[in-house]
Amino acid sequence: MVATLFTLTTLALVQQTDTQVAVRPGMRLDLSNFAGAIAVKAWAENAVRVRAEYSSEGYVELTLEPSALLVKASSRGGPPPSVDYRINAPAWMALDLSGVNTDITIDGAQAPVTAETVNGEVKCRGGAGNISLRSVQGAVGLADAKGHVEVSTVNDDVTLSGVSGDVTAQTVSGDLELRAIDSPNVDVSTVSGSVTYEGTIQDGGHYRFATHNGDVTLGVPDKANATVSVATFNGDFDSSFPISLTGTTKHRFTFTIGSGTARIELETFNGDIKLRRATELRGEHDHEHHEHHEHEEDH
Amino acid sequence: MTDPWIERLSEYRDGELTDTERSALDAHLAQCETCRGVLDELTRVVARAQSLPDRPPAQDLWPRIAQRIAAPAARPQRWRRIAFSVPQLLAASIVVALLAARVLWLTVAPAERGAPAAAAAPATLTARVAWAGDAQHDAAIAELQAALDAGQRAGRLDSSTVRIVEHNLAVIDTAIVQARRALAADPGSTYLNHHLADTMCRKRDLLRVATMAIASART
Repeated sequence: MVATLFTLTTLALVQQTDTQVAVRPGMRLDLSNFAGAIAVKAWAENAVRVRAEYSSEGYVELTLEPSALLVKASSRGGPPPSVDYRINAPAWMALDLSGVNTDITIDGAQAPVTAETVNGEVKCRGGAGNISLRSVQGAVGLADAKGHVEVSTVNDDVTLSGVSGDVTAQTVSGDLELRAIDSPNVDVSTVSGSVTYEGTIQDGGHYRFATHNGDVTLGVPDKANATVSVATFNGDFDSSFPISLTGTTKHRFTFTIGSGTARIELETFNGDIKLRRATELRGEHDHEHHEHHEHEEDH
Repeated sequence: MTDPWIERLSEYRDGELTDTERSALDAHLAQCETCRGVLDELTRVVARAQSLPDRPPAQDLWPRIAQRIAAPAARPQRWRRIAFSVPQLLAASIVVALLAARVLWLTVAPAERGAPAAAAAPATLTARVAWAGDAQHDAAIAELQAALDAGQRAGRLDSSTVRIVEHNLAVIDTAIVQARRALAADPGSTYLNHHLADTMCRKRDLLRVATMAIASART
């Protein structure tokens, strides 16, 4: 039986909640929110501060269990309330966040993170261990994380940067952009969108980049050792450096870079496949980034 | 919902529909931009496939397969191995996933069991079985559609989310049609075989996501 040690309820008459609960290392923050927003920022305290604002009749309930702090909003008879949470939590605290019509933002976590929403964005900076970010109708972004990473959305883009560890990323209608990745295993695919990867190609690693409608662009680091398989039904292949084919079939060809110990699969049904030096790709990205900022400043 | 006519466009283009079916689909095409787009893509894919040189695969496996078929069995077989194609296995996995969705739907929404199922294709246009799993697959998708409709009616699943799921199912269906068409023109292509299998996996994954969205919307 789970012992409930502490329960705090704020009635609907008060439209805001601001409370702080002491937590112990090893505990998990478990928060579900039907609509609104969840913003979690790591801090150095061994405590969780929950600030919540909600417009509908309802209440926010915090339940402290031996292994988790549960946060949940309910209403008395009406529809689930829309709640905007601003939460400070210890960086060591594992996060299990879920919502339906909810945006989720995480900043500075150094622990496992699970964040799932249906209609909303998921943005996470930080995270260690198992990291799972999912949305249906919203972009998913992850930066500066380390561990086993699984990210997906359905109708938007996925962006990863500064991530190390095994990576799986998927979308259906959206682009996948992976920058500064350090991983031995990467598997990313979209159905209608482009794929861009710039990161390590580790010896013995396996990398798969696939789309149905869209281009695949791979930045190959210097001194990479990989056997590269390229497949396209209705597109072209372009490499900015010379390659020597080792095998060719109707829709696929292979070639080797260095000793060829890593395996790379590049696939697009309707699109082009572009091979670039990693430095080249980073340069293009920095240039685009710079132009984008200048354009924003002009406005 | 996923347009039931999409799967018939290939037959339409190949002149394999009856006069009645063709007339009905002509009328549908006049109103449906999605189907017109898929049909255009099909036409382009076929034109592209027909323009490709007809080369044998680098490693022709058929002689060895034929040799094995022709060779008499060394001894009576005590058991028979049943082999399935990748699409058949995927179809089975989709059916399992959707049966799970059905169970979930019945579990979490007992009050809505009486909800009408999603509109099916006209009776005269029942989809032909292209491979073993298609009929079950279509039935399972109808179940999922019912679950989506129920979620929308209950107000727990945003109508825009339902539209997004349906749109993306159509995106994947289009990709499947294109991959199947390409594979029909080049059945020996390992890439196309795997690509079709992968794309069907994407459909299964999306259906799972939709099921989970319904579940999370009800909790």
